[in-house]
Amino acid sequence: MQESRLEKTNSRFGRRTLVSAFLIFVIIPATILFGVYALDDRKYYFISLLIILYTMLPFAMVFEKRKPQARELIVIAVLSAIAVAGRAAFFMLPQFKPVAAIVIIAGVSFGPEAGFLVGATTGFVSNFFFGQGPWTPWQMFCFGIIGFIAGLLFRKGWLRKKRLSLSVFGGLATFVIYGGIINIGSMLMFTPTLSREALIATYVSGFWFDLIHAAATAIFLFILSKPMIEKLDRIKLKYGLIDR
Amino acid sequence: MNRNGFAGYHPLINFVYFTAVLLFGMFFVHPIMQVISLVSASCYSIMLRGRRAVRFQLLYMLPLLLAAALFNPAFNHAGVTILFYLKSGNPITLESILYGISSACMLITVLIWFSCYNAVMTSDKFIYLFGKLIPALSLILSMVLRFVPRYKDQIRRISYAQRSIGKDVSQGNLLRRARNGLTILSIMTTWALENAIETADSMKSRGYGLPRRTSYSLYRLDNRDKGFMAVMLSLIIIVVIGEVNGENTMRFFPSVQTAEVTPFSILIYAAYLGLCMMPVIQHMMEAIKWKSIASKM
Amino acid sequence: MEIYRIEDVSFTFPLQARKAIYHIQLTIQSGEFITIGGKSGSGKSTLLRQLKPILSPHGEREGKINFRGLPIEGLDQRQQASEIGFVLQNPDNGIVTDKVWHELAFGLESLGLDQQAIRLRVAETASFFGIQNWFHKSVTELSGGQKQLLNLASMMAMHPTVLLLDEPTSQLDPIAAADFIETLRKINRELGTTIIMTEHRLEEVLPVSDRFIVMDEGKVIVDDNPRKAGEALWHMNHPMFTAVPSPMQIYAGVTQDSSYPVTVKEGRQWLDRYITNRSFVREEAVTAIISSVKQPAVRFKDIWFKYEKNGPDVIKDLSFEVAEGQFYCLVGGNGTGKTTALSLAGGLYQPYRGKVYIGGKNAASMSFKELYQSNLAYLPQNPQHLFVKKTVEQDLAEMLVQSSLTREEKADKVFAISEFLELQNLLGMHPYDLSGGEQQRAALAKVLLLEPRILLLDEPTKGLDSFFKDKLASYLKKLNAQGVTIIMVSHDIEFCAKYADVCAMFFDGSITTSGQAKTFFAGNSFYTTAANRMVRHVWKSAVTVEDVIRRCKNHG
Repeated sequence: MQESRLEKTNSRFGRRTLVSAFLIFVIIPATILFGVYALDDRKYYFISLLIILYTMLPFAMVFEKRKPQARELIVIAVLSAIAVAGRAAFFMLPQFKPVAAIVIIAGVSFGPEAGFLVGATTGFVSNFFFGQGPWTPWQMFCFGIIGFIAGLLFRKGWLRKKRLSLSVFGGLATFVIYGGIINIGSMLMFTPTLSREALIATYVSGFWFDLIHAAATAIFLFILSKPMIEKLDRIKLKYGLIDR
Repeated sequence: MNRNGFAGYHPLINFVYFTAVLLFGMFFVHPIMQVISLVSASCYSIMLRGRRAVRFQLLYMLPLLLAAALFNPAFNHAGVTILFYLKSGNPITLESILYGISSACMLITVLIWFSCYNAVMTSDKFIYLFGKLIPALSLILSMVLRFVPRYKDQIRRISYAQRSIGKDVSQGNLLRRARNGLTILSIMTTWALENAIETADSMKSRGYGLPRRTSYSLYRLDNRDKGFMAVMLSLIIIVVIGEVNGENTMRFFPSVQTAEVTPFSILIYAAYLGLCMMPVIQHMMEAIKWKSIASKM
Repeated sequence: MEIYRIEDVSFTFPLQARKAIYHIQLTIQSGEFITIGGKSGSGKSTLLRQLKPILSPHGEREGKINFRGLPIEGLDQRQQASEIGFVLQNPDNGIVTDKVWHELAFGLESLGLDQQAIRLRVAETASFFGIQNWFHKSVTELSGGQKQLLNLASMMAMHPTVLLLDEPTSQLDPIAAADFIETLRKINRELGTTIIMTEHRLEEVLPVSDRFIVMDEGKVIVDDNPRKAGEALWHMNHPMFTAVPSPMQIYAGVTQDSSYPVTVKEGRQWLDRYITNRSFVREEAVTAIISSVKQPAVRFKDIWFKYEKNGPDVIKDLSFEVAEGQFYCLVGGNGTGKTTALSLAGGLYQPYRGKVYIGGKNAASMSFKELYQSNLAYLPQNPQHLFVKKTVEQDLAEMLVQSSLTREEKADKVFAISEFLELQNLLGMHPYDLSGGEQQRAALAKVLLLEPRILLLDEPTKGLDSFFKDKLASYLKKLNAQGVTIIMVSHDIEFCAKYADVCAMFFDGSITTSGQAKTFFAGNSFYTTAANRMVRHVWKSAVTVEDVIRRCKNHG
C-alpha cells in the first residue's frame, strides 16, 4: 500500500483504549448489578440489549482507532452491500437467503474483524430497508459473531477453505449461534419472564425456520464458497490488497 | 423525504426523543403510563404514515397483542388469584393474565414507536450523529447505502442479460432457479469488486486517509431546536424523578398493586403525556399557525 | 507558469517486458486545456495516472516528473489531494457516499476544513455547477450526466490547480457529453484551471482545446494545437485521423489551401469559399419510400407498453417492420423508449396492447426455448453482465453446456467463433482484464454461439474508440451478409449513418420517421451527422465524410 503510515498521531488513541477497558470491567458488571437490584431483575430484555451493544463497542473502537484505509472500507462496504442485495437476488425463494454465507466468506477471506464488521453492518443496513426495530441489535450481533468466529477458526486452522468444511460450519453456526441467540431475543421481546418452558417453546416454534436458514447457508457455502473466495483472492492479488 | 414537523428538527433532538420514549416504553409498567405511551405512539404513527399505519396496527399489532397476552400465562403460574387449572395441573392466575396483557402492550408500544422512528430518523441523520464518534464506520454505512440500490439495479440488469441468452431465474424447477440465482450473484460479485477498486481510487484521490478528517453536515442547532430541547429535557427529568420515587411502576406478583394516585403522580402522568405527545402537539401548532397566516394573506 | 515538466518518462507494468509508455517528453503550462487522444491501449490513461502519483498503478517508472518546478514525489498527500483533481471514466464508480451534498463535501472533510469553511465552499460549488436544485437528492436518483457533473464538482470544491480527466464522457449520451465539455470549458476560462483530459470523442472537445496530443504504442506522436495536430496526422496517414472532427477530415480530403477547420461553422465557411468559384449543383433530399417488407423478421403491430399499471405509457402505438438480413437502427434522445422497444422485441417485457411478431409468429405465444434457441439474441449494454467464468474460453464453453453436441463439435464451435471475432489471443485471459472493446467482442461471441437469426444490440459503440467501432461494424456487416437481422439502439449518429441500412427516429414512445440511412439523415436538420450539418445548405443528401469529399472533388 502506498499510503504512508506515518500520519498516525492521534490524541484520542489512549482515551479510547481506556473507555474500552472501563466498559468491560466497570460498565457491564454495573449494568448486571443494576438489573438485579435496582430493576428487581425483571428487565431482562433491556439489560440484554445493553450488554449486546457493549459487546459490539470494542469492535467499533478498535476499528476506528486503527484509522482504516480506503480499500479496507471499500471491501467491507462491498461485501455488506452484496449480502443485503443478495436477499434481492433470491426474491423467488423465500427464507432462502445468502447473508450468513457471505458473512462467513468475508471472515475467512479477510479475517475475524472484517467478518464481524461485515456481519454487523449487514444486519444494521438491511433494516434500513426492512425497518429498524428492537431486533436490530440482536441481528447485528448474531451475524457479526458468526463472521468473527469463522475468521478466528480459519486463522487457527480449524476451518479450511474447503467447501465441505465451510458448509458444515455454516450450517451449524447458523442453526446454533444465529438461531440460538435470536430466539432468546425474540422470547425476551415477547415476554419479560425468563422460564425454561417458554424458552423451549420458542425454540420449538422457530425450529423449521432455523433449519431452513441453516440449510440455506450450508448450500450457499457449498456452491458459492469456491468461486467467491477465488474472486476475493483475485482482487487481493490484482490490486495489491494483500500486503498489509 | 419527511422534513416536516418534528422530523425537521435537529437529528440530535430526534434521536434523544426516540431513545427516551423507547426506553420509557420498555420500562414503565404502570397502566396509566402504558396507555399514555401506546396512545401517543399510535397517534403519531397515524399522523406520519396515515392509513398505512392504521392498517399496520389492526392487521399486525392487534393479533400480536393477543398472542403475547396468551403466551405469558401459559408459562407463568405465579400469583394468588387462581382462575382455573390446565390439564398439566398448572394453575392459570389472574395476575399472570394481567401481566401478560401488560407486557404485550409494552411490546407493541415499542414496535409502534419504532415505526415512527423509521419514518423520522433517516439514514443521513444517523450518519450525521455518529459521523464524529465513529467516522470510519459511518462512512461504511453511507457507502453501503449507496451500493445497495446500485447492486439491486445491477442484479435486475444481469438477470435480464442472462434471460436473453436463455438463462432465466423464473423458469425451471427449484434447483435450476437456485442455480441461476447463484450465477447472478456470482456475476454481481465480480462486477462489484472490480468496480469498487475505482471507488477506492476516487476516495484516495480526494485525500481520504489524511489525518484530522472533519465531518460536515447540513444540520445546525438553531434557537428553535434549543427551545424544543429545553422543554423535552425538563419533561424527561420530571418523568425520571417519578420513576425514582416509584410512581411509574406496578406490582403483579404475588398480587396486583399499583402506586397510589396522588397529586404528585398526576404531575408525572401529565409530564409523560406531554413528552409522548410532543411531536403531535408541535405538528398541530404548526398547522394552526399556517392557517392563521394563510387567512391573512 | 509551468505546471508539469515530464522528462523522459517511461513506465512498465509488473511482469511485463514491454513499456506501457515510452520516453515521454512534455511540458504543460498553467491554464492550458489539453486533450490526449489515441487508440485504446496506446498508454494515454497510464500517462494521465502518472501525473497524480497516488493513483499510479503498481509498476516501474523511469524519468522525472516535476510539478510546479519541484519533483512530484515531494508532493505530500494533502497537496496531491487538493492541488490535482482527477475524474474517472465511469461516473458511478467515482461517487462514494449516498447523498449529493455529502459527496460534494467529501474531499473537504478529508482535508480537515471546519464546518463553516466547508459550508461556504459547498454552497459556492453547487451554485457554480447548477447543482442547487438536486443538492438534497440521493445519488441513485441522478442521471448519468448529473453523476459525472457531481464527480467534477466535488473535485472542484477542493480548488485544484490542475484537473485530470480520464475519458469522462465515454459513458454519457451525446447531449450530456456536450454539456459536460461545456462545463469544462467554463472552468478553464473562468477559473483558469489547467485541464488535461483523455478522450476519443473529439468532435466537441477539440474546438475548445489549446493542444491536442496523440499517443500511439506508448509514444507521443503529435503534440500541437488542434488544427496543426490534425494536419500532422493527415500527413502521417495515421489511422487516428478518422477520429478527428468531420470538417477536418473533409477539408483534408479536398484541399490543403488554408488552415484546418475544426468546427462545423468553420467548415461551412471554408466550403462556401471553396465553391464560390466553382460550378456545382445544389441537391435537395429525395424522400425514398420504403416498400413494405415481404417477410419481416421482426414486426411490431400497434404496441402499447407501460412499466406500472398506473404509470405513464412508455411505448405508444408503435408499429414497424424489420426485414430479414437488415441492419436497423433506432436513434433518438434519452428516455424516449427506444431501449424499452428493444426489450419488447427481446421478449423481456410483454406489451399490454398490440403484438410483436418474431419471424411471423406472435412472440407472446412462443415458448422461452423457441424464442432464444437459434432465434433471438440480445447483447446488453454492459458486456460484463454476461461473464460468468474465470477465462474467456470457459465463458464461451459455458454457453454450450446444455446443448447435445459432442465434445469435439463444441470445441470446434468455440474455435470458429473466436476466429471470427479475433479472440484467439485472449482466450486464456480473465474477461474483466480485457479492454472495453475486447470485452464487447467476447460478449458478442457468447451471444453468437446461440446462432441467432435476429441480433439485438443496445448501444454497442458506447465507450469504444473509432478503431474498435470500425471493427465492430465489419463483424456486423459480415453477419448481415450471412442473413442475420440486426436491430440496434444507438446514440451514435455517425456510426448509424455510415453502416445502417435503415434508421428510425424514436420520439415520445414511438417512431416519428424512418428511412434508408442516407435519406433519413438528409431529411433531418439538427439530428444528423456533423458532415451533413456542414454541407446541407448545398448538398442535402451528403451524409458521411466520404459523400462530401466525393461531391467536392466532382465539382472541383
